[in-house]
Amino acid sequence: MNSLAVPAIGGAELHVIEFGDIVNYFSPYTAMLFAFAVLFTVIAIVSRPERQVDIAFGGDAYYTKDIQPEQLKFQRFMAIACGLATLGAVVSGDVFNFTLFTSMVGITNIGIVAAYKNRHVLNAAFQYGIVAMIATVPLFGGAAIILATTGTLSMWELFGSAIAVPLIAKAFLVLGVMGEGMAPFYVAKAEITRAPGAPYVLIIHVSSLLLFLRVVEIVLSM
Amino acid sequence: MDAVYIAGLGIAFLSVIVAFYAILREQDDLHRILLTDLAEILALVLIALVATDLAEALILPGLVVGISELMAISEVFLVKESLSRPRYSPLSIEVMDSAPAIMSLALVLYGIVLSGFSGGALAGVGAIFYFMCRGHDERFAVIETASGYAWALWIFAFFIFMVLPEYWLFGVMTAGGAILLKVTGKMSLVGTMRGGHNE
Repeated sequence: MNSLAVPAIGGAELHVIEFGDIVNYFSPYTAMLFAFAVLFTVIAIVSRPERQVDIAFGGDAYYTKDIQPEQLKFQRFMAIACGLATLGAVVSGDVFNFTLFTSMVGITNIGIVAAYKNRHVLNAAFQYGIVAMIATVPLFGGAAIILATTGTLSMWELFGSAIAVPLIAKAFLVLGVMGEGMAPFYVAKAEITRAPGAPYVLIIHVSSLLLFLRVVEIVLSM
Repeated sequence: MDAVYIAGLGIAFLSVIVAFYAILREQDDLHRILLTDLAEILALVLIALVATDLAEALILPGLVVGISELMAISEVFLVKESLSRPRYSPLSIEVMDSAPAIMSLALVLYGIVLSGFSGGALAGVGAIFYFMCRGHDERFAVIETASGYAWALWIFAFFIFMVLPEYWLFGVMTAGGAILLKVTGKMSLVGTMRGGHNE
């Protein structure tokens, strides 16, 4: 069982971590994504938050925005949780685990921005949260249809040529990940990035990008 | 594939379309939260249609993820609209003054005897009842911490099953006690939802 289909897009597996019948693995591709996720999680842990400067229009005055320690702690915790969820998603060898980690990324993304009490940011976070919630329908729906049609959720079997995954399930999976992380549509999250605290806002983008790259690999392999 | 599955899938998709259309049309933010919750349930329906033991196991994490997203958005909504707690006591019945101590004591004791998930639920109901009737000035952080440690203990018990199967009795007792604490703690929070001071 523990060998990927021969022409695997992500390359042959390098290392396999078994938890019962859920087998996570690293391929050159996912190892790369994993390394990126680790890097940005470490950055979120060690770096200090940026302090935005507002310049008063028409004068010399400017003021810096203070980040309260509680807000800093909360954002940093959420950023680390987001990084860990991304780590889980990129090495997952099981479609349902992947969807769960993806929605966890969605939740932590809301958490990172919700700590900041600015009306615009909160409005954006709210709309984003609604989209993330709606996205769980295609996300879990896709996984459920894969389970119903093929009888398995293990990527080790799905990646083989013997099993054909219906196109709609693949489309649902991609749609779900796009909704949770909004990966290719960063414009949709522009308001969110008005929240100060640069390294933490950064991980929102990194996590959704990595998730999107991973789901593309999964869908192409199936 | 089963004809029943196809039919169920068709109905589920129809409902998804109806729900999404409703979300599209709705302007009020609160109503949109409620509608997205409705749409989430349809995701669970899609999983439930598979109708195997595995699907049953998948519904629980799906539900948990959905609820946590719902709670996160609701919290954002509260802050966004700067809604605050009501200043008056919304419910006062005479039995709520006399009964809580003995009722909740009995429920909690019986819950401890039962232990495990159902015991936790029962003890939790006792705690809910007490907090709802008597009010509360408790420290959320303490309940959260206790429940967090209990959860870690519960996971630890599962590792005992996997790594040292010969100590299964110890594992069962640990898991049963821990889940009792965890469910009790979490459920008692429900009783405090209508406000009070917290730290």
